[in-house]
Amino acid sequence: MSEWEPKIVAFLCNWCSYGAADLAGVGRMLYPSNIRVIRIPCTGRMSPKFFLAALRQGADGVWVSG
Amino acid sequence: MLTLSEVTGISGEEGNFQVQVTQHPRYVDMEKCIACGLCAEKCPKKVTDEYDAGLKKRKAAYVKYAQAVPLKYALDPENCIYLKKGKCKACEKYCPTGAIWFDEPEKKLTLNVGSVIIASGCQVYDPSTHDVYGYGRSPNVVTSLEFERMLSSSGPFGGHLVRPSDHQEPKKIAWLQCIGSRDVHIGARGYCSSVCCTYAIKEAMLAKDHSKTPLDTAIFYMDIRTHGKDFERFYNRGRDQSGIRFVKSRITHVVPKDGNGNLLIRYVDPAGKRVEEEFDIVVLSVGLGVSPEAAQLARRLGIETDHYGFAKTPGFEPVKASVPGIYVCGGFEAPMDIPSSVVESSAAAGAAGSRLAAARWSLTKTKKIPEEIDIRGEPPRIGVFVCRCGTNIASVVDVPQVVEYAKTLPYVAHAEENMFSCSQDTQEMMAKIIKEKRLNRVVVSACTPKTHEPLFQETLINAGINKYLFDMANIRNQCSWVHGQTPEEATEKAKDLTRMAVAKVALHQPLAEPELSIDQRALVIGGGMAGISAARALSAQGYESYIIEESDRLGGRAVMLHETWDGGDVQGFLKQIIREVEADEKIHVRLNARIKKVDGFVGNFKTTIEQEGMEETLEHGVTLIASGAAEYKPDFYFYGKDPRVVTGLELDEKLIQKDASLKDVRTALFIQCVGSRIPERPYCSKVCCTHSIKNALTLKALHPEMDVIVLYRDMRSYGLREDLYREAREKGILFIKYDEETGLDIDRKGEALEVLFTDTSLRRKMSVRPDLMVLATAMVPPKDNPLAQMFKVTLNDDGFFMEAHVKLRPVDCSTDGVFICGLAHAPKPLDESITQAQAAATRAVTLLAKKNIRMAGSIAEVHPMDCSACGVCVSICPYSAPAFALEGPHAGKATINPVLCKGCGLCVASCRSGAIHLKGFDNDQIFAQIFALREAV
Repeated sequence: MSEWEPKIVAFLCNWCSYGAADLAGVGRMLYPSNIRVIRIPCTGRMSPKFFLAALRQGADGVWVSG
Repeated sequence: MLTLSEVTGISGEEGNFQVQVTQHPRYVDMEKCIACGLCAEKCPKKVTDEYDAGLKKRKAAYVKYAQAVPLKYALDPENCIYLKKGKCKACEKYCPTGAIWFDEPEKKLTLNVGSVIIASGCQVYDPSTHDVYGYGRSPNVVTSLEFERMLSSSGPFGGHLVRPSDHQEPKKIAWLQCIGSRDVHIGARGYCSSVCCTYAIKEAMLAKDHSKTPLDTAIFYMDIRTHGKDFERFYNRGRDQSGIRFVKSRITHVVPKDGNGNLLIRYVDPAGKRVEEEFDIVVLSVGLGVSPEAAQLARRLGIETDHYGFAKTPGFEPVKASVPGIYVCGGFEAPMDIPSSVVESSAAAGAAGSRLAAARWSLTKTKKIPEEIDIRGEPPRIGVFVCRCGTNIASVVDVPQVVEYAKTLPYVAHAEENMFSCSQDTQEMMAKIIKEKRLNRVVVSACTPKTHEPLFQETLINAGINKYLFDMANIRNQCSWVHGQTPEEATEKAKDLTRMAVAKVALHQPLAEPELSIDQRALVIGGGMAGISAARALSAQGYESYIIEESDRLGGRAVMLHETWDGGDVQGFLKQIIREVEADEKIHVRLNARIKKVDGFVGNFKTTIEQEGMEETLEHGVTLIASGAAEYKPDFYFYGKDPRVVTGLELDEKLIQKDASLKDVRTALFIQCVGSRIPERPYCSKVCCTHSIKNALTLKALHPEMDVIVLYRDMRSYGLREDLYREAREKGILFIKYDEETGLDIDRKGEALEVLFTDTSLRRKMSVRPDLMVLATAMVPPKDNPLAQMFKVTLNDDGFFMEAHVKLRPVDCSTDGVFICGLAHAPKPLDESITQAQAAATRAVTLLAKKNIRMAGSIAEVHPMDCSACGVCVSICPYSAPAFALEGPHAGKATINPVLCKGCGLCVASCRSGAIHLKGFDNDQIFAQIFALREAV
């Protein structure tokens, strides 16, 4: 169980969190690679269907940030 | 943009200046630097990082901070080992693009310009100048700017709140206000720095948020000056919700304790008891001032400065320096916060531009764009370009493996790797391949679309295909740079991200960008000082405007004002500009006019006004709201019942009319905050403290024997107005802070008015029998404001118009093409209203000057056949883009105005019928990305 790493799908707002993720890169802040980012124009775009689809694909967690 | 440059001299005159500029070498070729950071990584020389306030180290090869613009590295010649001692060159050896340029020469440039704007900023006060606070003796005494870095997640402690000496989490932090401000001792400055009260509250709130255990925060102050828009609410929140302690006491020294690193502060509490208290960290709220460099620049340019070194500006033209053609803005004009600086910068840009309006567009060239190939109906042929970014990506991600993988993906017709996808030659090659291989979709796996999407879209346009047939996979910022320790996993992630981008781009369609012509006229609502100033600024830029004034005269509240705080003759100035406005052919004034109806949107508004029973429809491209506010008239304190009780403006009226009865006044009493800073009106009206001081001084000058008393809660003579406050105290005007808890008790004893209160410094009940009582009443917005509804703009909880963004867009409304200025936005003095009006006019001109605007193609669209006309989109959109169609085959169904749509997708996600589609981010496109996750999850 201790080796298990959750797979996370992140929906990030283009104007804030996506830019913040870019800045984390500029600052070389290391973090685990088990995250896949999908850029959305605003968290207002987020539909419940996207969560469900991501979970159904096998994601262990969905993160929406904006 | 000329960085590392300084102005060494100026000659010529307004309209034709010759400016001498010396550009110091960066030792890095800006054309070649890709900001990969390898030079800094390999540089052996560690240097104290001034950006992190000396709390961290940087290298001699460095970029000042992560968000620096332009994001290009530089060598610090004071510390670079090679430049100092002739040995090392590590950066040159490792730089993947050969950008290091040790023998870059110093450049001398002469610029021919019409106007000059000085925005040299400010410098914080150095508390070691006169160190009574232990700043040089204890690492746990820090300046507010150092504390700011300590709180930052990119700062020296990674945002973890610890004290510098032992990296232990603090339990108690004190903020000492007015360090180097409101102080006439050696090295300090007499003025108020304006910003420190609010930032100290912010820092205390953030510190509490960052702390895992309960943190005690105390702010030691003289007056809390949260005079800016919405700042008073922030202060209340800090005190009542966050539990920050506010202690009214000026601390004169801090004693570092031996052994435990704590700091001892002595003060007198409200009950009059002497208290000694220990703190883990003491933050010095340092003030703002003019740097020696800025002072030197002012001398070189020959502009006048005041006794503090700030640029002198005439009160009615707040951004104009003493030399014609030179303008100033921000911290070099006066100490001010970010919103005020941004407003001033727009005003200065407008003022500088208005003298050059005739030359607009005279030096521009139009670019030829190749004709777009219609790819509709073709199966996708996707090209994938994977960037190595020198070693930035390739040292972590196995780029050839990603390329080979991309070739196996559906519809991919071409895949290759580039050393630098963004370089000029690669761009040309990319356009060539698109044409040769007839690619109709492109994916670039490289850095971030936030910075590079426009560049690659340009390449698509040059190759003759629609720029929306493009997507990026972010395999640098969000992959190689952050997964350097797990290259295999990073490679897998890069493949996944590329696959997801390919899946999405296959569904992209060419999008059109709607173009819209802009009516070249402006509508200015309100004929007060702000409205008049805005119309004059527009006229100076060459644009026509209509001023809509409800009353029968221009001038607004200003007709009641006697003098500005710095002695400007308001009536004289007002008469002069009203004459100018009436003579100006570009300004059309409509008096006794009311707005009945507003149609249209940015570029093409149609506003119907009613004037003495007659209706008129005005067409205009932009709208400036300058509808003002009024002085609050209280129904208590015998106002309206006793002729001795007047409001601040009513006293001004007496002064303008040279009312002889004022000479007979023996005791004048000013009462502050009447109707402001109370539960039903929790904002500060900003102008009343200075207004009362000014009038108190005028009364004292009229009749020096008169007793003049000001009863206040916090005196808010912010910025350079503090000099006036000091002068008033020197001239014998009594300022008494009364106890807010017990309040004021005002009664009539026979003929006499008696005011009872508790003096907080004497802790004693007092009474005054004034024969003139001036109520500094609140500034109030109109009760029901129909303009908000008509122009679809929002009001804040206090009834003032809300800006689109407090700092970034302080004079824009969230509805495009609508701008705000003056008292309609928030209470403010005359000079700030004028600045804001000029700023609003400048912002309006940025639209008008384009004549046509091109909107983004990635916007929402309704399929009317699916629309159930439920109206959710109409009510939910923050930009008022959806509306019900009034006519045509789909009348009654929702339709989205492409000009107003910002492409956020809120309506798309909210549409219960699935009738709305967001071009570029439609459901199928996002689902394609989700489904392409496949083995990634």
